[in-house]
Amino acid sequence: MSGEKEPVAVESAGLPNGLVSHGNSKTRRVYETARSLHTGAVKDLLSLGVCERCIFRLVSVEAFDSDISSVSTSTLRSWLKSGDDETSASESSCSTICIVCLGILQFVFSDVKKELVKSDSSSDYVARITDLVKQDRHEFDSFGLEVSVPSTIMENERALLSYLKGKYSTEVWLQRDKISVKDALKVLLLDQLKASLGAESDSSSFHIRLTYTKASDEAQGASETTHESKRRKTDAENGSNCISENSFEKVYEPCIFSVHCNRMPIFFSGRYFKYSRNVSQSRWIIDDERMGEASVEEILGGNILPACLGDSYKFHAAGREDIDVRMLGSGRPFLIEVQNSRQLPSEQSLKEVEEKINKSEKKLVGVKDLKCIGSQCWAMMREGEAEKQKQYVALVWISRPLEEKDFNSISCLKELKILQKTPVRVLHRRSPLDREKIIHWMKVEKIKGHSHYFLLHLCTQAGTYIKEFVHGDLGRTTPSMGSILGCRAEIIQLDVTDVKMGDP
Amino acid sequence: MEILKLDVAKFPEIEDTIELTNPKRNDEVEDCDDQQKQQLATQEDEEEDELRKLLLSDIGELPISPPSATQVNFVSYFITDFTKSGHDQYIYRHANGLCVIGLAPTHIAFKDEGGITSVDFNVGKSDRSVLKVSGKRKKNALRSESNTALCKVSTAKDTYIVRCCVKGSLLEVNERLIKQPELLNSTADREGYIAIIMPRPADWTKNKESLITLEEYKEKKEMSL
Repeated sequence: MSGEKEPVAVESAGLPNGLVSHGNSKTRRVYETARSLHTGAVKDLLSLGVCERCIFRLVSVEAFDSDISSVSTSTLRSWLKSGDDETSASESSCSTICIVCLGILQFVFSDVKKELVKSDSSSDYVARITDLVKQDRHEFDSFGLEVSVPSTIMENERALLSYLKGKYSTEVWLQRDKISVKDALKVLLLDQLKASLGAESDSSSFHIRLTYTKASDEAQGASETTHESKRRKTDAENGSNCISENSFEKVYEPCIFSVHCNRMPIFFSGRYFKYSRNVSQSRWIIDDERMGEASVEEILGGNILPACLGDSYKFHAAGREDIDVRMLGSGRPFLIEVQNSRQLPSEQSLKEVEEKINKSEKKLVGVKDLKCIGSQCWAMMREGEAEKQKQYVALVWISRPLEEKDFNSISCLKELKILQKTPVRVLHRRSPLDREKIIHWMKVEKIKGHSHYFLLHLCTQAGTYIKEFVHGDLGRTTPSMGSILGCRAEIIQLDVTDVKMGDP
Repeated sequence: MEILKLDVAKFPEIEDTIELTNPKRNDEVEDCDDQQKQQLATQEDEEEDELRKLLLSDIGELPISPPSATQVNFVSYFITDFTKSGHDQYIYRHANGLCVIGLAPTHIAFKDEGGITSVDFNVGKSDRSVLKVSGKRKKNALRSESNTALCKVSTAKDTYIVRCCVKGSLLEVNERLIKQPELLNSTADREGYIAIIMPRPADWTKNKESLITLEEYKEKKEMSL
């Protein structure tokens, strides 16, 4: 009947921890697991300075599961310790950092200010993590939990397992795969994190990363552990004494712990317009001097980023136009990629962003169809393949007056093939090549009172150099407007009026 | 392109300056009923009107004769009496550093009756017209010194050697001149260019010391008349 007394005592011991009734059943399971562990190994590991949860990981035949998170460190220790005769030896290592997990599974760490922090239970630990996550002000309803630990921990564990296999080689529990420190930590924390953050756990676009980095002298500790393990093998008879002595010598330092939140990039698509001839598409700085007045990239990104509370953005467009060319008509498709956004803008706030850009006093840039999308849209954005056709309007001057017959001679040219040598203006950075391009159609509009000028409307294969098609680029584009009309032709200004994509 | 940098201003009379000679026909949408057709037509008309306003909005004052692309994109330099009297050449330098080489209007060859009748790029160790420069790094480009020969131009009376004038990489020669040497007589400053050379920045600094500006060239021309 002495056996019956022990369960009663344990139950009374559990109550001060404030466990609820259903917790009791979990607690009992953990207790029974603790009592079933190999006594000699447990005693051995405790005296070495291995923590309670690592002992559960390494010695238990039962799976390491989240039930253990309901029991505090001190309770676990009392259960593992009870029945030990050498209480003084065990107690002396009570506050030691675990020689395997360096305190990670003991919920002991250095914070960013290098102050030592201890939590006796996982719930305290989870509360701390929750506070740090909430400080970052992310909105999320699900998250992925990631843990990063120093490589020395894997080395520590290999050394210890090597020691255990040398000493307890026939034991069944040694043959089982061991859950890693990293996975054990996730098991301990995940359910409680879900509760305290009010979110589900999945492969979400939002990640919480727990990062443990080692103190600077851990490399030395690792090598000492390895050395110690070897010594144990060669001197098995004196193993106990060696272990006791060495555990007193060694002091392990806890890891530095930090929490990082990160959301996978979110994407916005739309079409932009460029109304100014002094705004570049991408930010353009030469020798610390800005070219042009602004850039489409900065105007769009600079308005969208604050709506997301993100860290940074990248601008991607389906092709490009020169700084002195306006982008009109249906606009050019673009993507804005936002890193680590803390909130997803509503459709309403996107409408407000559009309105703010479009009603800007200077009217440099416009935007439409702005929306938040998944990342599958990338297919549309492969620049070399995205553009198929482009339409332009060019203001053209010719050296003789425009004649009536010119209208017909130009508009009847359909699918005109032209050959363009790499234009001089880009030859310094492009391969010298002869490129065949197609002018699909052209149309001429007279400008009253200016017989040498006209508006040339044209639709071309994407990639055609329009300026060079008009002025001929020293005859390096053939035919050109000049050669077609038999005179000199100059382009005064250019507008893009449509960009046709591969998709409809 | 020289862009006319004018304040955007609405000119009521500008609407009248445009005469559309080939009016666009709206695409037929057979499946729509009349009301939808009207709505679509109205919307298209509105968009087209909007675009038209934008197109017209920055057509400001138009000069009788705008500067040419060559004038806008290049800075003109000249070298006169290069190695021989009357051997005058131009060097147009683009903002990106590339130099276009050609015969200056005062080149002695143009004084010969009938002008230039043939161009031969087969000078020096290799025919300049068969070099095939490739890639962004301009592989196979001939390294040129200022006195490296580019070609010979011949008139009925004589033959003249044209030289690189600048040190750099010879990217291109104007092969059209072989079949159309008359381009030199009519448009030596444009379609009749002879070569394109890419100096290194340091080389250009040295090259420039031997060249004169457009203004200096004009003065020299005036004095010689």
